[in-house]
Amino acid sequence: MDYIILSATILAIGIVGLVTKHDLIKMLIAIEMITAAATMNFVVFGSLMNDSLGQAFSILALSVDACVTSVALALAISIFKRLNIRDVRDLSELKEEPTEQECQTGEEN
Amino acid sequence: MWLETVLAIGMVVSAVFAIYLKETVSSVLSLSTMMILLSLLYFSLDAPFAAIFQLALGTGTAAIFLLAGDTLTKKSNEKTSTKTMLLGLVVSAFLCVPVLLGTVTTQSFIQSVELSLSSALWDLRAIDVLAQGLVVLTAALGVVILLKEERRRK
Repeated sequence: MDYIILSATILAIGIVGLVTKHDLIKMLIAIEMITAAATMNFVVFGSLMNDSLGQAFSILALSVDACVTSVALALAISIFKRLNIRDVRDLSELKEEPTEQECQTGEEN
Repeated sequence: MWLETVLAIGMVVSAVFAIYLKETVSSVLSLSTMMILLSLLYFSLDAPFAAIFQLALGTGTAAIFLLAGDTLTKKSNEKTSTKTMLLGLVVSAFLCVPVLLGTVTTQSFIQSVELSLSSALWDLRAIDVLAQGLVVLTAALGVVILLKEERRRK
């Protein structure tokens, strides 16, 4: 089995999910998938080269991945508690309207 | 060989359903299934430590985090239709083709020096492990600050 094709397929599915889904939790699921696909390469190549360094790297990567998930989830909960939204498209409402002075400066440039 | 093929197909199908399904709980369950199959693949590749870490962190902790996040935030009432399920099946079947076609040998292509996991982790990558501890502590601090600020705001 060519594991690189499997890894690339799962990476592609994760990227498609990250681009097409707008729900914060769904985007986190897609990020988990992407990191799992990346970590798989460490283990596969380590196993093929009969080297334990791949496993060591995968263990480090998995721990950092769990940290990333926890921080991202805390941010998602914080956003939900503050703005009562879970859809990232609604976050664009946070963008400030440009002032008249900024509009004029932009036109001059 | 057949076991690896079955695991690969299962991983692709569950990954597609994790993205396609509308209910978050079902998506998390699909992701957990994918992670369990991935850890079984690690076991078959003779990487037991990576498999156990994948099972504990990738499957258990991530699923608990995501389910907790789903519980703490608003639930959508969307249900996955049969049409979406069928579309997911078709897409996953299409994506399984390159995985099935790309069958090459998995024999070791380089005979390297045997290195035990403990020496790789504690001797070669000792600074990485220390830095990783710092990352974990920073992440924990970040989560505490984020949630405490929210409580103070209330």
